[in-house]
Amino acid sequence: MALTEVNRPLELPVSPLANRRGLRAGQRRTGILLLLPAIAVFAVVILYPFLKALGLSLFRYTIEMTAPEFIGLGNFRTIATSGEVWNAFLVTAIYVLFTTVGTLVLGLGWALILNQPFRGRAVLRSFSLLPWVLPSTVSAFIWGWIFNARFGVLNAILLELGLIDYPQAWLSTPQGAMLAVVLTKIWLSIPLFMAFFLAGLQNLDREQVDAARIDGAGNWAVLRDHVLPHLRPVLIVVVVIGVIGNLQQFDTIFALTGGGPVRATTVLSIEVYKQAFEQWDIGFASAIGVLWVATLIAPAFFYLRMLVKGA
Amino acid sequence: MAKLELHDIRKTFGEVDVLKGISLTVEDGEFAAFVGPSGCGKSTLLRLICGLDEITSGQMAIDGEIVNDVPASRRGLAMVFQSYALYPHMTVADNMGYALRLAGTPKPEIRQRVENAARILRIDPYLDRKPRQLSGGQRQRVAIGRAIVREPRIFLFDEPLSNLDAALRVDMRIEIARMKERLGTTMVYVTHDQIEAMTLADKIVVMNAGRVEQVGSPLELYNRPANRFVAGFIGSPRMNFLAVSGVTPEGQMVVPGGRIGLARRIPGTAAEAGVRPEHLRLDRPGTEGSLSGRVVMTEHLGSDTYAYVQLDGSEQPILVRLSGERLVRREEPVGVVVDPETVHIFGSDANTLLSAQSTAREAA
Ligand SMILES: Nc1ncnc2c1ncn2[C@@H]1O[C@H](COP(=O)(O)OP(=O)(O)OP(=O)(O)O)[C@@H](O)[C@H]1O
Ligand SMILES: [Mg+2]
Repeated sequence: MALTEVNRPLELPVSPLANRRGLRAGQRRTGILLLLPAIAVFAVVILYPFLKALGLSLFRYTIEMTAPEFIGLGNFRTIATSGEVWNAFLVTAIYVLFTTVGTLVLGLGWALILNQPFRGRAVLRSFSLLPWVLPSTVSAFIWGWIFNARFGVLNAILLELGLIDYPQAWLSTPQGAMLAVVLTKIWLSIPLFMAFFLAGLQNLDREQVDAARIDGAGNWAVLRDHVLPHLRPVLIVVVVIGVIGNLQQFDTIFALTGGGPVRATTVLSIEVYKQAFEQWDIGFASAIGVLWVATLIAPAFFYLRMLVKGA
Repeated sequence: MAKLELHDIRKTFGEVDVLKGISLTVEDGEFAAFVGPSGCGKSTLLRLICGLDEITSGQMAIDGEIVNDVPASRRGLAMVFQSYALYPHMTVADNMGYALRLAGTPKPEIRQRVENAARILRIDPYLDRKPRQLSGGQRQRVAIGRAIVREPRIFLFDEPLSNLDAALRVDMRIEIARMKERLGTTMVYVTHDQIEAMTLADKIVVMNAGRVEQVGSPLELYNRPANRFVAGFIGSPRMNFLAVSGVTPEGQMVVPGGRIGLARRIPGTAAEAGVRPEHLRLDRPGTEGSLSGRVVMTEHLGSDTYAYVQLDGSEQPILVRLSGERLVRREEPVGVVVDPETVHIFGSDANTLLSAQSTAREAA
């Protein structure tokens, strides 16, 4: 065959099975179609209430009023000068920091342990999911009992060990109450974090670790140079999910301390609740809610971007 | 550089006996190839040698010191895995320098040693890449480079070339042969591939079902296999086995298609006769002393032609190697000429009663 003939484009009919607008066009259209119901639901249950709250944050609207009164950024000005709201932000930051770091370290440690081969591993793995399946108010109740001043397990153990001389009223001190709500949340989140880590650990190539050991790596070097880098993507996802979840936490704190003593555990979610359903100041509550959502947007944005990139 | 001694090594996983008493010595600077069918315990043995798994019983010594309880990280060995097992998140240079870094070698020295090894293996252009940005052959070189850089006491290889295509395999085989010349380090090399074992090894260890069947130089194993298993395993294409149904008063073995003379008296009763395809010849049917049969299939490989000949009274065809130009027709009746000197004879316990004479003499 002559060379010129080879270089000429094929003058043949296009297969009738071909997509007219390229290989992917059909898929894109189907994708959008499939998204429609989800978008509709999102608009009704999330977008509309959110926009409504966004609107309300610009109004003064308390229990005594028959109709909301537009005050522009008045609510936000009040927040800016309100020590209580700033305090709620600070408490939230502390709470999120300790719960996220605590869950991360303990969840990873627990996953590393459960990834070792030993007898009864499967049973222990199943039991580890217990906090996850318990209703969170039940969990709060359990922890409330643990920290109870008079009948609590914690006091009993510490007394037995001789670490304290008389029972402590944990939940009535600011630090004790914070410790209680943080520990409860950590305990609740460990199963989820651990499941993520365990899944990540299980697809770590065994031979990679073997090779590292032969190269002279001890346990610490294996963790630092191989396990953690391998878990990096999981780690990022888990941190973002953790931060989002901890920023939103409400039920266990409300059940355990109700935000007290005084305002020691009043995180944003509790603050909003109090403003809305105790002070009945819906406009002010909405304004705090808007700021709260603003803090959520940053981690949520990272998370979504990661999901999209990963897909 | 080190001498490796294994004494009655056993390994059980729960109920399963995987290694059933392995004893052997690999001398300092020796290249030992372990061959055997899939599942016979080669990888298991290698993992025991490098300390990744614990020996159930027996003793292992490196350079005259028992190392049973020395962890992998302190044995000073290097291993090349079949899967390469490169560190995916590290660059090629970091992969190769990892062991030195752990050992606290100064950075400039690490870099120099990595660069030297990379140059030898021709992977220096890729030092800054991640393993996933390399081709299979390049990854293989990195894995070998990672082992070389450490200057280990013993190199362990677990089927290092089995994931490469045929051409690359030949290249890497030559590469490893050169490496062996240059470094003179003790090497233990597990492979499925006969040619790798035959061409590279000073000593071949044939394993089967958790035991050592025979240890010897490549030619020893080819010429004087200790039993039917080794005879069938070493040599490619594999040896033909003919069932011996009796011995005539003149001392000839009765086999399918005719009789084979005995080169010497044998100490026992022959059960099977083994002849390699390269020691058989085709002639006209009815030729004096030949076995009669017909050609059922031929394969032309260019340099060689293989004829599958079905002997009269036998189901299983035997293989005859012919020169490349030789043309044979299917269904053609032929006489297969057997030189009694090239026949191995096996007893009913599958042990060798008589090894082929002529090939053994050639080798001597
Ligand atoms: N952890 C284990 N638990 C139980 N049995 C095992 C384990 N590891 C290996 N075995 C068994 O030990 C035997 C030998 O395995 P090994 O991997 O050493 O074979 P091999 O000779 O390397 O085979 P191949 O040539 O296919 O790589 C196999 O039958 C395998 O099923
Ligand atoms: Mg193997």
